[in-house]
Amino acid sequence: MKTIKVSFRVNDETVAFQVKPYETLLETLRERIDLIGSKEACGMGACGACTVIVDGIPLRSCLVLTPEVNGASITTVEGLAKDGNLHPLQEAFMEKGAVQCGFCTSGMIMTAKALLDRNKKPTQKEVIKTMSSNICRCTGYKKIVEAVEYAASRRTSAG
Amino acid sequence: MKDDLNIVGKRVVRSDSLAKVTGRARYTADLKFPNMLVAKVLRSPLPHARILGIDLTAALKVPGVKAAISGFDTYGVKWGVFRYTQDHDMLPTDKVRYIGEDVAAVAAVDEETALEALSRIQVDYEPLPAVFEPNEAMQEGAPQIHDAYKNNINVHVHINVGDVDKAMSEAFLVREDTFKAAGEAYAMMEPYAVVASYANGFLDLWMPNAGPHVRAKALSNLLKMPLNRVRVRHINSGGAFGGRSEVSPGDLVASLLSIKAGRPVRLALSREENATSTRQVHDMIATVKTGMSKDGAIMAKDYRVIYDGGAYSSTGPIATSIPFYVYEECYRFPNVRYNGYRVFTNKGIRGMYGCHGRAFIAGNEAQMDLMGKELGMDPVDIRLKNGLTSGEVTATQSKITSCGLAETIATASERTNFKEKWTKTSKGKGIGMGCIAIMCGFPMGFRSGSSCYVKMNDDGQATLVTGLVDNGQGNESMVIQVASEILGIPMEDVNLVNADTEATNLDPGAYSQAAAFVGANAVRIACENARKKIVAIAAEKLGVKEADIDLRDRMAFSRKTPGKNMRISWVVREAFFRGDPIVATGTYFPSIDFEREWVSRPWGQMAGTFSFGTSVAEVRIDGQTGKITVPHFTAAHDCGRPINPMAVEGQMEGSIQQAGIATIMEENLWNKGFLLNPDLLEYKVPLACDMPEIETIIVSSIDPEGPFGAKEGGLTIRMNAYSAIACAVANATGTLFSELPLTPDRVLNILERKKGAKK
Repeated sequence: MKTIKVSFRVNDETVAFQVKPYETLLETLRERIDLIGSKEACGMGACGACTVIVDGIPLRSCLVLTPEVNGASITTVEGLAKDGNLHPLQEAFMEKGAVQCGFCTSGMIMTAKALLDRNKKPTQKEVIKTMSSNICRCTGYKKIVEAVEYAASRRTSAG
Repeated sequence: MKDDLNIVGKRVVRSDSLAKVTGRARYTADLKFPNMLVAKVLRSPLPHARILGIDLTAALKVPGVKAAISGFDTYGVKWGVFRYTQDHDMLPTDKVRYIGEDVAAVAAVDEETALEALSRIQVDYEPLPAVFEPNEAMQEGAPQIHDAYKNNINVHVHINVGDVDKAMSEAFLVREDTFKAAGEAYAMMEPYAVVASYANGFLDLWMPNAGPHVRAKALSNLLKMPLNRVRVRHINSGGAFGGRSEVSPGDLVASLLSIKAGRPVRLALSREENATSTRQVHDMIATVKTGMSKDGAIMAKDYRVIYDGGAYSSTGPIATSIPFYVYEECYRFPNVRYNGYRVFTNKGIRGMYGCHGRAFIAGNEAQMDLMGKELGMDPVDIRLKNGLTSGEVTATQSKITSCGLAETIATASERTNFKEKWTKTSKGKGIGMGCIAIMCGFPMGFRSGSSCYVKMNDDGQATLVTGLVDNGQGNESMVIQVASEILGIPMEDVNLVNADTEATNLDPGAYSQAAAFVGANAVRIACENARKKIVAIAAEKLGVKEADIDLRDRMAFSRKTPGKNMRISWVVREAFFRGDPIVATGTYFPSIDFEREWVSRPWGQMAGTFSFGTSVAEVRIDGQTGKITVPHFTAAHDCGRPINPMAVEGQMEGSIQQAGIATIMEENLWNKGFLLNPDLLEYKVPLACDMPEIETIIVSSIDPEGPFGAKEGGLTIRMNAYSAIACAVANATGTLFSELPLTPDRVLNILERKKGAKK
């Protein structure tokens, strides 16, 4: 089968592959470059466990074909910590007890990051609305919502 | 045991969370090994059919295919939890019994090749009449799913205490109701996956599991391999909720393929396969008859409960019993008769669920409210009247040692202003209460206990070796916290080697609510034994009495003169010099009556202790659409002393989602044997926007036997959240429901019926 050459940036590194036209971004990230933090939980865009940020927009990588991200800049959960420091959302998820089995956690954090990147001080209602795009089966969401609010408040108070 | 606690009881950050927030935590489908193959399973398209033949030859000819198997490649050993329930050929050769059943499988160099090969496998079926409803399956002349079980009755649990008929005839008030509930999807976020790696006669396995040792033992039986050659290894688990307790057909499939190919094999199920072909939740129909005295005391209970057992026995005898037991562990029943029938149907394999017994428990609770109302008692008073207290014995002879039931009822009702809201209902609003108890562990023979080995390393850090497993609830962090407290070192100084069958000893697993009470108790005892050795050397070196030594912040020091101190690492090194290193073991075996058996002898001590909880739900009903919303939910839980209150709250909150909100929206939908909603678009898991405002209250108590006084944390709420919402709806509508979940169509039916009754 004819393959397509694709090149994009992921977590500040440039990568290039020959892929089949129907290869998903989730497959590329997990199978080709071992970025296994993005999870496949439903494979149909229902749960958000595979959420990554593509050019500032949170996308479900199981629904994105890799040829579509040619030239894009992608951030996955593995790219959040900088210089050994965790992202405030990662710290908040830990401190607030928002992590249980952890299978939804990467997607939750990436969805929350995209929210805070465009809305520095979301209301609780806005947080709940945004986080309702992702499914968690363990936590009841309370501590996840608290963690996102806490990370937002810490970021704004730190300027 | 220590009383002044530094770490236990604190809201600590869970030890596993760093790996999970950074995306580094590995789950089964994340594993990669050199030469690893991809496996795919061919599944039955028919609910019931005789297998006339399976031809794998065309599949094996596809380039890149390295192995193909069917049931004819197994030893034909059948799985069953008990000797008398061994009826599950995990790869059948005689018949298929449900749509989605594993029939054959291939391992190939990549997924596409595997799928191509799968399409070339030839299976000849002779379709047989099928049966999907337990009531029909029990009739004479219904299709027989297994020859050995007449009328498809898989298990009959019969309990008879006192004289039910006499008590009913003497009761002031008698009421009988029937409740029906659909099963739900576990919908754990991680679809099932297995990695099997066979080399040199040894098989290594990774899969999400709730008990590595029972898994390894089952596979050693199925594969006819010695137990020490079947090694189930540690891996993170993306949720279990009762659905990862038993050996799975995928385990056998991946193992056989790896043995045949001589290469590692990864089998990762899709979301839909996870729903159709791993465990499902039992549907059930419960008839509840209750006799009460004039003062509201339950005089007798008479039950007939039918469980839709799907195609095989699974945990049959346990599943048929648990709903009754969690209820009798909560309330006083002087006379009780329970007839539980688990019936085979041509549907998927079933397991236990965190709120196993919804129709039964919710039905009992809602009926009690109505009977109480007739007698002039509200739900609070009638529950306090009938609730068990410490020192009492349940109907089937389990002694309750510590019991905070009354406190959870009182706290939850005070916080919600329950009595007033319940009496003065306004249109479309309701409030309801659910209570329950949970056994912390249950009889599992010699596997009921746990052992831990602890060694102090020469840098003063500790390694714990325990069979305890974590399915996301925080068990690993919990035992690290316990060790840290006792050994006087920070949590980050404790490393855990766990849930690996070759390195660790037996543990009851994470499916019987025993992790805190049994697993953590073994860790506590091992660490206390190590601590004694550390204290003895430190006391000698510092010239003080052993009773004066305390351990904290990596130091051993004199309480009286803290200036006299030494690093724990120096104590450890001294011990190495003496040829007597600081190593210790600890075992905890709970006080259970091991003569107790689920079918043949259903009485005796069930567990070492019981936890208690009360949930209160407030609901609103839209009279036009029948849609229910839940603005507030309050849960009070006696979990003994919470080891990490933040983790216990998390369990309670998750329970309110998974068992509470489920009451209004979750059910598996079937068209005969075909599951209509196996994916997460059609099966709606409650989202953040569906959640109520939650208040969780930990009613702290000290269990005399539990580690630092701890018992199970969270499952009582999972068991009673469903009742609380169902009772609130009954309160709002003024009438009993008969079918669960309370989806808008069913609620409208209730409202219509009520209108009709008024005319």
